[in-house]
Amino acid sequence: MYGRYLLRSLVDYIGLAAVLALLIAAFGFATDYFFTWTTFRTIANQIPDAVILATGMTFVLIIAGIDLSVGSVLALGGAVLGLALVRWQAPLPVAILACVGVGILCGAVNGFFVVRWQLPAFIVTLGMLEAARGGAYLVTGSKTQYIGTGIEWINRGNFMGLSLPFLCAMLVVLAGQFLLSYTTAGRSMYAIGGNEEAARLSGIAVGRVKLLVYMICGGLASLAAVIHCARLTAADPNAGIGYELQAIAAVVIGGTSLMGGRGKVINTLFGVIIIAVLESGLVQIGAQEPLKRLVTGGIIVAAVIIDYYRRKI
Amino acid sequence: MKKIFVTYVLMITVLLVSACGKQDNGAVQPETKAPEKPRIALVMKSLANEFFLTMEEGAKAHQAAHAERYELFADGIKDELDVNRQIQLVEQMLSRRVNAIVIAPADSKALVQVCQRAMEAGVVVINIDNKFDADVLAERGIHIPFVGPDNRKGARMAGEYLAKKLQPGDPVAIIEGVPSAYNGIQRLQGFREAMDAAGMNIVASQVGDWEMAKANQVVSALITEQPGLKALLCANDSMALGAVAALRSAGKLGQIHVIGFDAITAAVEMVRKGELLATVAQYADQLAVYGIEAALHLIETGAAPEDKETPVELVSAETVK
Repeated sequence: MYGRYLLRSLVDYIGLAAVLALLIAAFGFATDYFFTWTTFRTIANQIPDAVILATGMTFVLIIAGIDLSVGSVLALGGAVLGLALVRWQAPLPVAILACVGVGILCGAVNGFFVVRWQLPAFIVTLGMLEAARGGAYLVTGSKTQYIGTGIEWINRGNFMGLSLPFLCAMLVVLAGQFLLSYTTAGRSMYAIGGNEEAARLSGIAVGRVKLLVYMICGGLASLAAVIHCARLTAADPNAGIGYELQAIAAVVIGGTSLMGGRGKVINTLFGVIIIAVLESGLVQIGAQEPLKRLVTGGIIVAAVIIDYYRRKI
Repeated sequence: MKKIFVTYVLMITVLLVSACGKQDNGAVQPETKAPEKPRIALVMKSLANEFFLTMEEGAKAHQAAHAERYELFADGIKDELDVNRQIQLVEQMLSRRVNAIVIAPADSKALVQVCQRAMEAGVVVINIDNKFDADVLAERGIHIPFVGPDNRKGARMAGEYLAKKLQPGDPVAIIEGVPSAYNGIQRLQGFREAMDAAGMNIVASQVGDWEMAKANQVVSALITEQPGLKALLCANDSMALGAVAALRSAGKLGQIHVIGFDAITAAVEMVRKGELLATVAQYADQLAVYGIEAALHLIETGAAPEDKETPVELVSAETVK
């Protein structure tokens, strides 16, 4: 029983790793400098916010929900961070707490509406997408706020050439996978996504778990905001537009079902890396914008088709 | 819980009522005093964008200082691509019986039709910021005066300044705006002309969608592939900020020159610190004002509408205050 499970996860990883290896080989062959340490370090420094966003989205998709507000919540979190650091001159830990607190609050509002009135998550989070973006404009006065050196060191600090945000993202992935695989809450999420009514009848506190999931997703979106701002050394009120769809794309490439009940955070990590390698590689080839979009779209659909056949093994 | 909900509803009602009250005060009261005062509508693109916000604030300040000359109705759409909503806005302004519309069109073709209807209704239309497509105007047989900066000239100025810091043959890269935007295309042309004239080698030209994060990602990949790169020409300041952040993480800050466009607050700060070589100011706070002045001139004198070029200026270490 356990052996079969192990085999299936192995097939999962091998499928994704193969796609990734193929992409890297193709780009390495086509360009002069793709297959270098610099490229991989650059990609590693670009993905942490995307990884953290997609991790939160994985939980939401597993419970058969959706969160369209993550991009806006990221912008709002960043705006609060910028406000705290620049206007209030708050110490960084306080600013980060305020930022993450706002994200968790947004997630809690999402979760509360979804659970209390049984509203479709699509609608509730669509509302939050607008509301949080409005909040970000209000907080920043619609102006890009330059934060500067107060936050830059987060991105500078490194361990064996890997940045602090990257290590943080890996930690989030591991913790997320642990939560899903080894805790009651995690198993409840799969149960809810598989069949919510059955989960309720078997005594799972469905409402509480759902609320928790949306809070985690909001909190992770604002944690991603800290990293996003550290990389750009600025809080941009227009940050994160369209990130919700990128996050969903990464999660789906990683084989998580949009119908819920199935998925892994580790696979989502592969999904994010595949998209990042693709984007970086296409720039290094010198591909023009229309081609870039065509190829990215094609790969998303191709990955899901591969996933369809992979599941039949 | 119910109490909180009721409080919210009350608060929102109060806000709405007070907002309506304000509008009435602005629009109706002066009319009774001086009915012949021209009513000018300012229809903007995204008010979420600092650039347009500055434009609107400039216009409001101008109106406050010249309250006896005209009334101002300013409105904008929520993002720069919401063409439909902007058409509706123009229609609303027409039903408010304005004398002139000063518009920064979200699309240089799609807004022509509604503006033509406005002109047929006897409303003066002035085009600012994003120029209407010349072919569409010609096909419809109308002329809408454009009052605004020459983006191509501004970009060429920045490019020429950059060229002085480089050797002929040096590899440079361009980060473009949204490919369909008129001002983005103009800036790209200006950059190219300056670089070609100085004999630089443009090794890459990539789209950064006007966005900081997108430009950051594109530039990170670019500098890996082109280790010898000497300069990055960005079509706006948001992208220049993203580029500078990318250079900083790669430890190449100071080795590669970056130029931007628009002179937003954060970018001017970076020019002062020497992280950004130069940017181009087109006096955002005055752009709408130039348009309003042109509209007033047309209404007051009935003169034939003419295009008018507004100033652009290079902001570099030498000129920054």
